[in-house]
Amino acid sequence: MATETQTELTYRPNVDICDCGAEVLIVADVPGATPDAIDVSFDDGVLSVHAPVAARTLPGRILQQEYGIGDYRRSFKLGDGFDASLISAECRRGVLEIHVPRLAAVRPRKIAVRTA
Amino acid sequence: MSLIPFRTKRATGMEPGSLATLADFRNEMNRLFEGFFSRPLQMPGWFETAEPGQWLPSIDMSETDKQIHVRAELPGIEPKDVDVSVSEDRLVIAGEKKCEKEESGEGWTHRESHYGSFSRAIPLPEAVDPAKVTARYDKGVLTVELTKSPTSTSRKVPVLAGSTER
Repeated sequence: MATETQTELTYRPNVDICDCGAEVLIVADVPGATPDAIDVSFDDGVLSVHAPVAARTLPGRILQQEYGIGDYRRSFKLGDGFDASLISAECRRGVLEIHVPRLAAVRPRKIAVRTA
Repeated sequence: MSLIPFRTKRATGMEPGSLATLADFRNEMNRLFEGFFSRPLQMPGWFETAEPGQWLPSIDMSETDKQIHVRAELPGIEPKDVDVSVSEDRLVIAGEKKCEKEESGEGWTHRESHYGSFSRAIPLPEAVDPAKVTARYDKGVLTVELTKSPTSTSRKVPVLAGSTER
């Protein structure tokens, strides 16, 4: 899961993606990330997430180590039909939720059938 | 009367709630491999496997002279849904990760995260005082600090020279 970059070790967070009709919801696990420092950006059709994680070390002698500590990075290529200006994100309890709304013109909608 | 036993669902591994999805299986294999290669000679948790329908959180553990520190990644969990219990030589972290938006079950096109109940029993390297344990949950990370029991302090045994024969 870890990918080496020139400067640091970063991790690819687990994500769930939901097509909720009016929007696509991306839910990423970023335990340990500082919410205020998370950077979500959209450029040229690519949604990028960078969630910095403060270095934390356990005191004393390490007995067991099952996961690494490092920033989370992941990018998503979005298709057409999304309204980038309305993308919003919130982070709570180590989970980042990104709401990517569809353009109103392409949202699924129900068309009422009138009787003649 | 049947001479050829039917395969049970359990035997085929397709019981609902077991490692039924490819993502569950992949995550479990990742955990085993990462645990094995990161610390091949110290793997107290290596033989642990999740019960059907459950998952195991990853942990880090360290010790100082007087304390044992355990940290677990538990993103997206309400602190009240985490149950931390301690016996003398064992720490159990259990709880449930709920998916608030999963009621409908529709629309999810990609799943990588764990949901549902989890329970992990962690053998401790030394006995601890169950009365002196603190647990704190912050930004999806649970940190448990345990104080070693003074009665279990290890003792250095001097090695005497000479024969034991009489």
